[in-house]
Amino acid sequence: MQYVFLYGAVDKRVQGTPLPLCLQRDEEGKRLLEALVALSFSGAIGLTFLMLGCALEDYGVYWPLFVLIFHAVSPIPHFIAKRVTYDSDAASSACRELAYFFTTGIVVSAFGFPVILARVAVIKWGACGLVLAGNAVIFLTIQGFFLVFGREDDFGWDRW
Amino acid sequence: MAGFLDNFRWPECECIDWSERRNAVASVVAGILFFTGWWIMIDAAVVYPKPEQLNHAFHTCGVFSTLAFFMINAVSNAQVRGDSYESGCLGRTGARVWLFIGFMLMFGSLIASMWILFGAYVTQNIDVYPGLAVFFQNALIFFSTLIYKFGRTEELWT
Repeated sequence: MQYVFLYGAVDKRVQGTPLPLCLQRDEEGKRLLEALVALSFSGAIGLTFLMLGCALEDYGVYWPLFVLIFHAVSPIPHFIAKRVTYDSDAASSACRELAYFFTTGIVVSAFGFPVILARVAVIKWGACGLVLAGNAVIFLTIQGFFLVFGREDDFGWDRW
Repeated sequence: MAGFLDNFRWPECECIDWSERRNAVASVVAGILFFTGWWIMIDAAVVYPKPEQLNHAFHTCGVFSTLAFFMINAVSNAQVRGDSYESGCLGRTGARVWLFIGFMLMFGSLIASMWILFGAYVTQNIDVYPGLAVFFQNALIFFSTLIYKFGRTEELWT
């Protein structure tokens, strides 16, 4: 519990009274901010791996950047399912499970694509390894975003 | 000596409630298998581009397997039993016929892929990898269908 603590020429009658609930989120705000910074850092590391796989002098081929499409598309099935089953209290639903299915497919495709490129020697295997490492870090970052920022008790659509 | 493993118990992990997550785990495993099957086929098609090495007609097996996957998983077990409130556009018998056709397509594609592997690759003296790719694509899609259909419980939907 946090309390009002004022200095100077202000109304001292509120001194020591509990802060209203909307101003008590100091600790939670700090925690969320730290999580945001950590996730941004890991996202930057993932993108660095991806760019290294393309831009190093040894490699110099930019085809692997197409995996960014998979990264961008991967949260979409989850949001569609969340929108469709908004009113339901059930633990799961056919729509949500289909969303998990397609999300998994998109993740597998993001890993399969660089391997196929390396198999036909469009990119070198070293570049493929860097791109796969970047993929792993970026998908863990995306999952981290959902874990940290998906904890809202009432998910309001007014934030969209 | 008999029954010496009777009292063996796996180490307990209480942190996760697996019964609530069963459907999610089944969906994810099915997704991994399904898309791995497709990427194996894409890999074979990319590495062996000539029709003498991989006849383009062999892609039909995978296409029919995928169609069968969606047909089989479009009907819920409740509709097949006749338990659900809304009967859907086909009713109970229609749902059963749909499921039957779906399973026939699935088994047909699986058998066709085995036939292709042995008839067009193993018995001819050519590189057998594309035939294996066709077979594994259909086998993986088949197992993915089974896990997606029977690995999930509909009780979590109520």
